[in-house]
Amino acid sequence: MDPSQPPVENYANPNTCLFHVLFKGAALAFYILSALFFNSFVIIFVVTVLLAALDFWVVKNVSGRILVGLRWWNEIDDLGESVWKFESLDQESLARMNKKDSWLFWWTLYLAAAAWLILGVFSLIRFQADYLLVVGVCLSLNVANIIGFTKCKKDAKKQFQQFASQTIASRFQSTVQSAFTLV
Amino acid sequence: MSHNDTIPLYQSSQSDIDEIENMMSNNGFQSNPGSVLPARPPSPTRPSIPVSSSSSPFVQSNLPPLPPPSSSAAAPKVTPVPAPPPPSSGFGSAPNTLTEPVWDTVKRDLARIVSNLKLVVFPNPNREDPGKALRDWDLWGPFFFIVFLGLTLSWSASVKKSEVFAVAFALLAAGAVILTLNVLLLGGHIIFFQSLSLLGYCLFPLDVGAVICMLKDNVILKMIVVTVTLAWSSWAAYPFMSAAVNPRRKALALYPVFLMYVSVGFLIIAID
Repeated sequence: MDPSQPPVENYANPNTCLFHVLFKGAALAFYILSALFFNSFVIIFVVTVLLAALDFWVVKNVSGRILVGLRWWNEIDDLGESVWKFESLDQESLARMNKKDSWLFWWTLYLAAAAWLILGVFSLIRFQADYLLVVGVCLSLNVANIIGFTKCKKDAKKQFQQFASQTIASRFQSTVQSAFTLV
Repeated sequence: MSHNDTIPLYQSSQSDIDEIENMMSNNGFQSNPGSVLPARPPSPTRPSIPVSSSSSPFVQSNLPPLPPPSSSAAAPKVTPVPAPPPPSSGFGSAPNTLTEPVWDTVKRDLARIVSNLKLVVFPNPNREDPGKALRDWDLWGPFFFIVFLGLTLSWSASVKKSEVFAVAFALLAAGAVILTLNVLLLGGHIIFFQSLSLLGYCLFPLDVGAVICMLKDNVILKMIVVTVTLAWSSWAAYPFMSAAVNPRRKALALYPVFLMYVSVGFLIIAID
């Protein structure tokens, strides 16, 4: 390797990346190719929706955690109100995340949603209501993940900014205090 | 003295900026001379909620036979009790659930499905407080039950299998959404996903009935089984739905639920 070149960053978690893409791709591929092999709508529906649900779970609980350090969920508090909770790693670890990993994470999320949208348009054009159902379910799963993680990322940024400004403010305060005591 | 007055001020503000930059480039804390290090606060959004009560939206994390991806080997093994991981984990002082191994997540969610099922469908003391009972809602159980019911009905049908499945799934899914909207529009207090989850879990008795009907083709037996399971489902759903609305509107909220389960029951009987 050319020593003057910076080392190319590889995926830090190749297995997780693989699984992140695997179920999405499998759901899309099965849906598109199944018309060639299976006559039964039931099998297509069940397998596609099952793969999409598996993908949702993997993205939400595994690859979200490992590739971008974010997590989101919903809770019902004691008053019976539903609260959306976001969890993220502290800023050091977030900055340490592999860039390739997070690039892959976000882009495959968006691409999969776009692909399902296009497939939905196709089935709409062909007036196939039952396939529209499948596409609708898969699309809503993908969109739910996108919205959840986007909100989580924004929340993490906001938290860090608050923390940073708090720190600057408290440091400034202590500096001013120490300056005044020195005088 | 005046010389000393100005220089410390400049130095410490510069070290402030240095320090923030250091944190941002995660070099950890360096003790700069003449600066007071603030106590390191916990990570920004660490929830103070015990892991056992965390629930997740929709699909939550749960699918019965999911093999943990081999990436779990990358995460450190922590004890089965979800205690905070030791700092030697790859993410430093990260919150609990962010660094747990995958298998822990799977187990936690499986346990949640089972406990939700027990709370909703079987008699237990918590039924008197419906809001608390399904606090930890999840949608995996309902998903599995709806698909299972659709598959059973489709299997029992001798013709038009696909239509039967599609109709059963659409009826149950759309029905659950509409019933929830019904409760909300009646001025009731119920969380959307909680209600979807509840209505899905109450399908469990009908699932059992459908399996029995699939195995035995006697019409009389079918009618008895369906009636029993229908009553069981309605009994399961009753306290939650009725507690959510104004007492004067209880019947308005409960009747559509009963109607939906009756129509599913007819579907089970009529399929041959």
